Amino acid sequence: MSAAGATRTDEMMRYVGSRLITTVLIIVGAMLLLFALTAIVPGDPATTMLGPQASPELAKRIIADMGLDQPLATRLWRFFANAVTGNLGIDVISGRSVTGLVAEVIPYTLILTFSAIGLAVAIGVPLGIFAATHRGSVLDNILAFVSVAFIAVPSFVIAIFLLLIFAIWLDWLPVLGASRTGGIGDELKRMVLPTLALALGWIGFIARLVRASMLEVMGEPYIRTSRAYGLSDRLVTYKYALKNACIPTITILGLGIGRLLGGAVLVEIVFARPGLGRLIYNAISERNYPVVQGAVLVVVVLFVLVNLVVDLSYSAIDPRIRHDAPDPGAPG
Amino acid sequence: MTPPLVSIRNLTLEAATARGTAHILRGVDLDIGRGRIVGVVGESGSGKSSLASCLLRLLPTNVSRIDGQIVFDGTDLNALDDAAMNDFRGKRIAMIFQDPMTALNPLFTIGTHLVDVLRRRHPGLARDEAMARASAALVSVGIGDAPLRLRSYPHQLSGGMRQRVMIAMALAVEPDLLLADECTTALDATVEAQIVALLEGLSRGFDGSIVFISHHLGLVAQLCDDLCVMYAGTIVESGPVAEVLANPRHPYTRALLACELDDHAHGGRLVSIPGEVPDPVALHAACVFAPRCSHAIDACRASIPALREAGPGHRAACIRFEELA
Amino acid sequence: MTAPRSALRLLRRICASFTGTTGFVIVAIVLVAALFAPWVATTDPDRLDVMNRFAAPSLAHWLGTDHLGRDLYSRLVHGTTVAMSVALSSIAIAFCVGTLLGVVAAYLPPRLERLVLIVFDVIASFPSMVLALAIVAVFGPSTLIVVIIVAVTLIPHFGRVARGQVLSLKSAPFLEAERILGASFPRIVLHHLLPNILGPLVILASMDIPVVITIEAGLSFLGLGVRPPLASWGTLIQDGYQYLSDSWVPVVVASLALAVATLGFTLFGEALRDAVDPRIGRER
Repeated sequence: MSAAGATRTDEMMRYVGSRLITTVLIIVGAMLLLFALTAIVPGDPATTMLGPQASPELAKRIIADMGLDQPLATRLWRFFANAVTGNLGIDVISGRSVTGLVAEVIPYTLILTFSAIGLAVAIGVPLGIFAATHRGSVLDNILAFVSVAFIAVPSFVIAIFLLLIFAIWLDWLPVLGASRTGGIGDELKRMVLPTLALALGWIGFIARLVRASMLEVMGEPYIRTSRAYGLSDRLVTYKYALKNACIPTITILGLGIGRLLGGAVLVEIVFARPGLGRLIYNAISERNYPVVQGAVLVVVVLFVLVNLVVDLSYSAIDPRIRHDAPDPGAPG
Repeated sequence: MTPPLVSIRNLTLEAATARGTAHILRGVDLDIGRGRIVGVVGESGSGKSSLASCLLRLLPTNVSRIDGQIVFDGTDLNALDDAAMNDFRGKRIAMIFQDPMTALNPLFTIGTHLVDVLRRRHPGLARDEAMARASAALVSVGIGDAPLRLRSYPHQLSGGMRQRVMIAMALAVEPDLLLADECTTALDATVEAQIVALLEGLSRGFDGSIVFISHHLGLVAQLCDDLCVMYAGTIVESGPVAEVLANPRHPYTRALLACELDDHAHGGRLVSIPGEVPDPVALHAACVFAPRCSHAIDACRASIPALREAGPGHRAACIRFEELA
Repeated sequence: MTAPRSALRLLRRICASFTGTTGFVIVAIVLVAALFAPWVATTDPDRLDVMNRFAAPSLAHWLGTDHLGRDLYSRLVHGTTVAMSVALSSIAIAFCVGTLLGVVAAYLPPRLERLVLIVFDVIASFPSMVLALAIVAVFGPSTLIVVIIVAVTLIPHFGRVARGQVLSLKSAPFLEAERILGASFPRIVLHHLLPNILGPLVILASMDIPVVITIEAGLSFLGLGVRPPLASWGTLIQDGYQYLSDSWVPVVVASLALAVATLGFTLFGEALRDAVDPRIGRER
């Protein structure tokens, strides 16, 4: 129990500080893991990559290019030093920088992911509030079942069904890829199905989460206080209860973004869209390790940073600042 | 005599539980006089808090039946629809809750709480005017640095401070009836004494009636004009505090008094009333206290005793109070 | 013993709701198909019949045939076995390792405990599909790799819950009493702690089944999971997807099977959680 004012900022700073340190530790841990993975590639990576027919000279050059002839400690140091300066290595096949490759496709993935989240929040939150305020109604029950269905079914399966129904059978929307002409209208049309495929599960997920949180909050004594003073239903629901219900929702949303990124990888492939997922997937088929390593690292950093932002925003909502982070339980 | 502010007649409250219908209130009759402070005492589960909930009609969802009349200044609250009932909350009736730790929303400042309540009480009240009144309300309950406290969140205040805020909130809406539901139970003994002293001081400048619910007879004696003793969903004795305490007629009231005296003598709750509170699911056809009463005779177990006149304004529900006096 | 009877009571509570019954029926069908695949299937799932590609559903081929003339129904049934063995084995590994780490972490000195938690965080910070991609990139696709990846990504899940449970129980009066009475540490953990933390972990495991099925199917769909000729649902969807222009039947059938199975396990897991303890799900 602290006095108001100065101590609150102190608490806040300490929390932000410890959260930043954890974030850095997680990124370092992730880098170690990624490095270890490439360091233990079975056999000689260059030959694996080039195939058995490759000339020994070429293999030697590649090994030198990748720095694989250096001792492990040197390689580790270089990996970290380069990563910090934004150099993620060289694509051994095209000779281009991995950073450049990632930078080229990252907007596609980010736009897809965030428009999916935006859509899911815009639809899921009102649905959840509706379900909570109309508890036990027919619509509430229907919503509950539909939500579970959307959550349970993998997003790439939803993607395939959407593709079949809207692009092939009904022929309403273009099937695959991103817009080549660069027209915004065309690109928007091509975004509809992938966004929907990613968002559907999240709509159900958010609706359920908001419903459960709202119902729990509605039973709290402080809501009883608001009611005892005759505050209107609108004020109690949308001002007092919703803010409390937001806390678990935002936390779990942040933690679920990892699953969303994983889902985005598959959805990008189903719809043949460019993006990080496709980049990683193609690199795997070509056994292009530096690209896999760099792109995966970017995904991890992205994910950790999003979580950091979510965590800090959530402590901005909740003046008490909770330290225990719940586990994610998000759809794939 | 002017009619009482609230006149409760045969108030019955039942709730559905896993074990069957629980009889929370079994036909309660009570008058709350204008400007009077009525203390309601009883063990936990005696229905005293439910009585307050009925007055505001803020009931848990498992309530299956509510019957009888609550005539508030000429209006039967039980006959009102939800919208009309809501018009009484926070205007004519205000409530202070038991646990100040959970009664305030942790995500909103004290100022927000007070301003919203004030603007509901006086629609059209400007924000800064509401802020000024909120500040004054805090000062009136002995909170010094009001401007700072208005910007504080509940978790930044101590328990006693939070209860002061709740009291400020209740008084700010200038209600005709103030319900204080065990408002000192969750506090430390020293803080409890401060809050009781505060309430005592405030009640002198307050025209409305107060219902002070407590399981602590001593506090009620200190604070209240009238006393009402509840047991197992019924009122077993009621009357002016001085009269009831000086001349308790119901064996249960005497037992409570004995506990209280013992409390002071030994500094702890060493002597208690033997037996247990009756199961709320059970139906009664006899005196509810008979199973624990050392004076019970066959006649006590034959029918439910009515509240009878035992003195000026003093009533008790015991068929033997004359002989036991 | 009362174990069978209490299991029956649990089952009755799960089936009390429509969704719970639906889940239970689907789970039962999937498990029977997985266990008795050779008998449930009508024919050898790998028998080619190239003359009979994309045959429409018929008495001989209940769900028709795929691009190589293989019987879709039989391939689906055998896919059930793949899905269930991957799901159950990886969850079993994650359950054991995660619980062990979680219990140990709860008893470690704070510094070491923090370290374990950070390791959990690092693993959890990899989106599991992306971690899978990174590992498959190195080791190449195989069923074993899928099992290991999934197990690793789930370990923090079990570890955190186990640790939380232990922490909440550690100073419980009945354990204090045991300690004062001189019970040894292993005895306390094995006889008193574990039985009390098992419930939430089992529920967690059941709720993870659809998640694992999804990851396995996703990896196999990318051609990075189970290797042919083994038929996983993901592989079936991929095969069908490749030949979408020839026939939509295989992809729809395989996707539906996957969708129904994940839905069934989700419904079952939630009904189980609600039947045992409605609070557990909310703690997450």
